[in-house]
Amino acid sequence: MKGRLLTGNAAAAAAARLARVDYVPAYPITPQTEIIETIADWVREGTMDSKFVQLESEHSMMTAAGAASLAGARVFTATSSQGLLYALEMLYNVSGWRAPMLLVNVSRGLAAPIVLEPDHNDVLAARDSGFLQLHSETCQEVADLVLLAYRVAEDKRVSLPAIVNLDGFYLSFTREPVVLPDQGKVDQFLPPYEPVSPLSASRPVARGSAVMEGFVYSYFRYNLHAAALRAKNVFNEAAGEYEQLFGREYGPVEGYMLDDAEYVLVMSNSFTALGRQAVKRMRERGVHAGLLKLRMVRPFPTEEVAALLRGRKVVGVFDQNLSPGLGGIFYSEVAGALYHVKNRPKAILPAVGALGGKQITAKEMDSVFEEMVRIDRDGVTPSPMFLMRDDELARVRKAVAIAEGRS
Amino acid sequence: MTVRVRFHGRGGQGAKTASRILGNAAFNDGYFTQDFPIYGAERRGAPVTAFTRFSREEITERGFIFSPDISAVMDDSLIADTLANPFSGLRRGGVAVVNTTKAKGSVVPGRDDVKSVCLDLTGQALKTLGKPVLSAGIAAAVARISGINKEALLTAVVDELKDIGLSAEMVQKNVGFAAAIYGELSPLELKTEELDAREELVPLAVVVSEGGIEAVTQAGNSAIRHTGNWRTFRPNIDYEKCTDCMMCYAYCPESAMAVGPDGRVKIDYDNCKGCMICMVECPLKAISQTLEGGA
Amino acid sequence: MATATRFRTLKDMPKEDYLSPGNTLCAGCGGILALRIFHKVLGPKVAWVNAAGCMTVSMSYPLSPLKSNWLYTAFASAPAGAQGVRDALDVLMAKGKLPASEDLKVVVVSGDGAAYDIGLQSTSGAIDRRLDFYYLCYDNEAYGNTGFQMSTSTPYGSSTKTTPATAAYPLGNTARKKDLFEVWRAMKAPYVATLANSHGLDFLRKVERGSEIKGPRLYIAFAACPTGWGFDTRNSVEIEKLAVQTGVWPLKESVNGAVRHTFVPRALIPVSDYLKTQERFNHLFEPSEKTEAIDAIQESVNVYWKEAGAREGFEVKLPGSSSR
Repeated sequence: MKGRLLTGNAAAAAAARLARVDYVPAYPITPQTEIIETIADWVREGTMDSKFVQLESEHSMMTAAGAASLAGARVFTATSSQGLLYALEMLYNVSGWRAPMLLVNVSRGLAAPIVLEPDHNDVLAARDSGFLQLHSETCQEVADLVLLAYRVAEDKRVSLPAIVNLDGFYLSFTREPVVLPDQGKVDQFLPPYEPVSPLSASRPVARGSAVMEGFVYSYFRYNLHAAALRAKNVFNEAAGEYEQLFGREYGPVEGYMLDDAEYVLVMSNSFTALGRQAVKRMRERGVHAGLLKLRMVRPFPTEEVAALLRGRKVVGVFDQNLSPGLGGIFYSEVAGALYHVKNRPKAILPAVGALGGKQITAKEMDSVFEEMVRIDRDGVTPSPMFLMRDDELARVRKAVAIAEGRS
Repeated sequence: MTVRVRFHGRGGQGAKTASRILGNAAFNDGYFTQDFPIYGAERRGAPVTAFTRFSREEITERGFIFSPDISAVMDDSLIADTLANPFSGLRRGGVAVVNTTKAKGSVVPGRDDVKSVCLDLTGQALKTLGKPVLSAGIAAAVARISGINKEALLTAVVDELKDIGLSAEMVQKNVGFAAAIYGELSPLELKTEELDAREELVPLAVVVSEGGIEAVTQAGNSAIRHTGNWRTFRPNIDYEKCTDCMMCYAYCPESAMAVGPDGRVKIDYDNCKGCMICMVECPLKAISQTLEGGA
Repeated sequence: MATATRFRTLKDMPKEDYLSPGNTLCAGCGGILALRIFHKVLGPKVAWVNAAGCMTVSMSYPLSPLKSNWLYTAFASAPAGAQGVRDALDVLMAKGKLPASEDLKVVVVSGDGAAYDIGLQSTSGAIDRRLDFYYLCYDNEAYGNTGFQMSTSTPYGSSTKTTPATAAYPLGNTARKKDLFEVWRAMKAPYVATLANSHGLDFLRKVERGSEIKGPRLYIAFAACPTGWGFDTRNSVEIEKLAVQTGVWPLKESVNGAVRHTFVPRALIPVSDYLKTQERFNHLFEPSEKTEAIDAIQESVNVYWKEAGAREGFEVKLPGSSSR
């Protein structure tokens, strides 16, 4: 077996070191903390040449991160869940500054109630912030996407901050073999950061000025959007080079058993592994199942989604997130990408599950494919699925009874 | 028809209050009415815009008035101010109401299709109120021109000025001010026609073709703003009396004073806002004031 | 700290201006005057890191009144922005990526809303980390940018838009002004000072003194606000002078915790002479004089100077209460 056993958190930290980041402002939160602990350790032992500073909140952490990026430093930071939301105001500022720093988010469900295990409401709360978003399924992907993200973010055609997402627990604390790229080759892939109009003694600059008219604001917002859209081709370019250097291939999306697939489930992040197993089981039952993984979430890979889902019978979207009063977030985005496709699937099934890291059994996963088949066969309009099993319901009812003194 | 009025003033002159007095007056007179200001970053002395619409039929418009029937300009220095641009979109047959002592006849450059009404509101305000606060006067002028009933106007003056906390005495003085202006004018025919729009839409690809990262790399370039337009009073240094003590220079909040090679303080009138701190702080009383544009 | 000063008289104020004419702040603004004087002492190589306030909107694109660097962050976290800039410069210089000649002095500039209220957590972090920065708070004792609402810097008896004086609440704001000077001092900031534009020499010397110290330095500049306080712009500096002469705004500094009043009035002028100059205190005099409230304000000023005098060994002649 190649590489070595690393958790997702360790892989993120190792990639930050390989990227030769200058500055790491930090603040602890479960399940991300191990990343900053690891970096703090390396910096203090002298095996990582960066400045590490613990701030007093994620809001301050993100402010320091963006400001340092504007002053010319390559910046890395990490957070999770509540921390990301606490920093959210600054995410909009940092992208508006066009400061290409990197934030690793370790997904965890949002309070209330408090929960420690993952879903993607945290990272998707930042979907409109102007940060690029790359989501990872494996610990290897975490390391590779950190390096790719820097390359894309710092490209002058983009100049935007980026988030690399990994699931709490399922990746953050899971060890698996990871091949870390060779430092020399990383240096070749990722040249030193050259800031655009940095704060400077010899060439002073005003950044983040107010604009008092909507048309000026619109101009800069449209430009931010255009830069985010350009990031996809820049990513493809960089990923091509990355594959040459390191032998691992990454695209904005990734298909699994798509060639003749009639029923395709769209997923993201670590639970995609469960989807792959379900595809295999369905195939054994003679169902032409397939899977499409979203790796790039911002910019949204509209063309890739459309190209790979056109002509399928039914598409399902597995959302590990919930926008109350709407449903799953990716469902709307995938449906939007497919609306104008000529031979679009006849139905799109929304399925919400695994909130707060709720475990998903094979039966639950298969039920989504079975429902896709039924919709196709009976020609019915999909009604949204919300995954929950009877044994779980029994347990939660018992808990509620105890909490309310009815047991 | 809907009458659309755009007020242009400088912060502190009462443009917003004027739009409200007019709105309230029209409402009292039985019209459907809208009034609203736009807030910018601008401060006391900086250009301010406020709007009033009124109509006998329900108003279906909303937002910025691009094509006013009446442009009411409370400070004639705004005419040349490209940020304020007070006559932009003024309709054919529309009216420019301008507070000025300088201009006579047509005040709208290149537009012989609009009527001009010139008034010395500042002079009258200083006389009646003791302050260059023009809201009641300019609202009265517009109300009269557009045929709003006098009682409706005066009731509005009282309501609005009470509402912003003026003393009963000041309110009464403002009623007098408004009545005097109202009495000076007569209604004008408001048969107007919108100017031809010459705008074209730009595709996104063109909008985003130039980089678009917000950064002011010409740090310190604000002198081209010319905040000198904000002045009500102009400071004048009597160099005979001045001993170059530098007190005025030290306390100028604008950096609108510079020490020349001869060691003497020079005022940058392009940007001096006329706060007059220099006059008060000068220990030798070597700085005096004159009213800008005034007699 | 008995170092020689380059400021012997106000005439020694540096003649170089790093604030350009043409800002969009109100005429007569005490805040921008403080920034102008402050900048003169610091010199050109400065990065201003700003929290939301009046200064924020004075930097409106595409114009910049500052010949130095400017970064707007957010309302709550300008000190963290200063942290990022300082750290980036330090690490880039340490790595040899940036020459020392490109170093910048990092200065947070904010109003009292950010300094006393929403940004205090971020401020506390920066002080705890011994961040090498200046904090210039232009204190106009309310949220001026949003139209003059009460902040925790608003003094007792001031009317604001959110603490208006009414029949049921005749005094306006009845909370006491937060003592930010002591908050910083308690957190062991090495240098804390108050400033008034009216006392220019004291102002220049304090910025000079603070520049010789490394670490977090706070300057609270009393910032007369013609628009919010309600007075004629021309009296901006005079009202600051009155605040100092009545003892309402003590000029002092703390060097490594040791407090010294840098200007000790021989005899205090009654506070009512100061209060009467501003519309925000009108209700204390009209329709009838609120003697009790004015006396309470006078008494708190008197107690302050008695205690300060006892600690530092000076005596200030105090005015009696207004009823006497």
